[in-house]
Amino acid sequence: MRKVPKLLLALALALALAPGLAAAPQKLTVWCWDPNFNVYAMKEAAKLYNKAHPEVAVEVVDMAQDIEAKVISGLQAGGAGLPDIALFQDFRIEQFLSDYPKAFVDLKAQGVDYAKFASYKVGPMSVGKSVYGIPFDTGSTGLWLRTDYIKAAGLDPDAYYGKSLKWSEVIKLGETVKAKTGKPLLSYQSDNFDMLRIVVQSTGGQFFNPDGSLNLRSEAFKKSLALFKELNDKGLLYQVVGWSDWINAINSDQAAGFLNAIWMVGSVKSRPENKGKYMVIPTPLIEGVKGAANASNNGGSSWYVFSSSKNQKLAVDFLKSVWATTNEGTKAFYNEILKGAGAMGTYLPCQGGPNFTANDDFFYKSQPLYKDFAAWMAKVPVLTYTPNYQPMRDAVAHATLNYFQGKIKSIDEAIAAAEAEYKQVMGQ
Amino acid sequence: MEQRGLYQRYLNRFGWLCVAPSVFLFSLFMAYPILSSLYYVTRRWKGMANSFIGLGNFARMARDKVFQAALGHNFLFMAVQIPLMVFLALALAALLNQRIKRFRGPLRLALFLPSVTSLVVVSVLFRVLLQANGFLNNVLIGAGAIREPIGWLNDAAWAKVTIILAMTWRWTGYNMVFFLVGMQSIDPEIYEAAEVDGAPRIRQFFRITIPLLVPVILFSAVTSTSGTMQLLDEPNILTWQGGPANATMTAALYIYRQAFFVNADFGYATALSYVVVLISGLFAYIQMRLLGDNARSAR
Repeated sequence: MRKVPKLLLALALALALAPGLAAAPQKLTVWCWDPNFNVYAMKEAAKLYNKAHPEVAVEVVDMAQDIEAKVISGLQAGGAGLPDIALFQDFRIEQFLSDYPKAFVDLKAQGVDYAKFASYKVGPMSVGKSVYGIPFDTGSTGLWLRTDYIKAAGLDPDAYYGKSLKWSEVIKLGETVKAKTGKPLLSYQSDNFDMLRIVVQSTGGQFFNPDGSLNLRSEAFKKSLALFKELNDKGLLYQVVGWSDWINAINSDQAAGFLNAIWMVGSVKSRPENKGKYMVIPTPLIEGVKGAANASNNGGSSWYVFSSSKNQKLAVDFLKSVWATTNEGTKAFYNEILKGAGAMGTYLPCQGGPNFTANDDFFYKSQPLYKDFAAWMAKVPVLTYTPNYQPMRDAVAHATLNYFQGKIKSIDEAIAAAEAEYKQVMGQ
Repeated sequence: MEQRGLYQRYLNRFGWLCVAPSVFLFSLFMAYPILSSLYYVTRRWKGMANSFIGLGNFARMARDKVFQAALGHNFLFMAVQIPLMVFLALALAALLNQRIKRFRGPLRLALFLPSVTSLVVVSVLFRVLLQANGFLNNVLIGAGAIREPIGWLNDAAWAKVTIILAMTWRWTGYNMVFFLVGMQSIDPEIYEAAEVDGAPRIRQFFRITIPLLVPVILFSAVTSTSGTMQLLDEPNILTWQGGPANATMTAALYIYRQAFFVNADFGYATALSYVVVLISGLFAYIQMRLLGDNARSAR
């Protein structure tokens, strides 16, 4: 008598649970930043994945600040609190791969074919025979100019449209615009050396020697620093501190342009008033440095799976089947995020969509922006970061700012100051 | 006799039971980290790997000019901001206590509010106001006070002023509330007696109010000092990672960056924290001795 209800109960329970088990809803969490760009692209990826796997919920979290700090505390705690997937800057990932060698899933071992990705993206994420990330976007750069201010200064934007300029020509343009409209030429983030890095890299210059030691005493670096000092002294830089203020400056008409990568498309398009105003010309050429070109690279990030993830298989499958597989769906996906955010993927088989060559009517004269950026990307030299890129970046930015503000008198002293700060922060 | 012993034992056990949760939490979140820091401090960390270096972290500190400058900024903020804030808080408390009769509640709330507001949220607004072409510069230029825009966030010296102003904005109301409570607990008869003796208000303030408030001022100075030694939010968010060019880098922010941003070097970060704790303790001791002696001699 007593056994029957128990049995019934067990049966009822089993019945109640069974359907739940069959289509168990699964969840993946992704950490990244920039709602107009990475978050958007990952949400599009989730949409595509959900067509075949409706039971998987992908939560994309916008970690606006200090994503690295949260990742480090999670890694230090053996993976507690970490998501399944996170986005890392290409220049930051070497630090994490060397500090936490077992923290990431080797995706080459999981069958990702890296020959199909742009090779310069694969270098930073490789350690020995292992490759850890899914390459995402390119950081091909250009000079973004506001044609309305150029017109207001009495100049013809068409005289610059599509032209590969030298920096001396750009400075002349900037002086005219400044004199006529009062607008500095470039919005400039003075605590960050991204713009400086773009110029240094356009010469093929590197910040580290092959043995990992600092390499700031190069001709390319000195010439680039001198160039920015000139821009600064001529009042052609609108200086702000911090990334968000830099975006604000751009979207509140503080300057006539900026120097940065293709991924700025999302931020520029997020403001409808920008429509028809911007044109992007090739990265200007710095004169007198061997190997200088009208092309450079800044930024670019890639996706990584933490080995602490409880849904490792699912996370790998998600990344692989959306970001590293060739079919109609993924072709449409890469084509879509390019138009939606200017997110130019680096998965080569999916770079043939119509948007890669299309005119974009958001820009001046409906410039075929992505075709141009892709053409410039082909000229980008291979870049070497190291695990110590971040402290170098800080030290150089600090010395540069002090040099601009006159606290450091010469380029040689600025380089010495940057080297000293780097050594102190690194404890060398 | 027997029964009393039993009861005593029951009380003992009950007492231990009552404090058990807090003993547990204390050992977990205070004792354990402090003890393990003794291990951390002797090692050089890099992510998952670490090695014994003895006192090497302290030798490194002696060479680290970035950290030394950061400590210097802490001292500067302390020396300027705490007196400024205590003075303002005292003046506001006195006004609210005696002069202002209407809207006392709303005013008190308005002054207290910044200390319970998230700085992360407010700093977004602050940063907009403090831009080169921002509201504050436009107002100052419009009023003819300045000609060139001030680099509130861009210039090394002005960024320090920005930090001091932001800290004062945030904590003056908080300290004012303590002073206000202290003032209200002073026996009005003392003032009446002074009134009868013909002492003017200003004299009453310096001769009666301030001496009787010394314990409160001491409390406020000690907590503000240790708060300033731990200053992190303002330079991290408002002047952006201790910028411009480390001009507002503080000890706590540098520790945070060594551990969680640049190096994942928890050994060095721990050693730096030891120094900060030591300095905070030293300052608290000095203040207690100085003001404590004063309070005793005043009585």
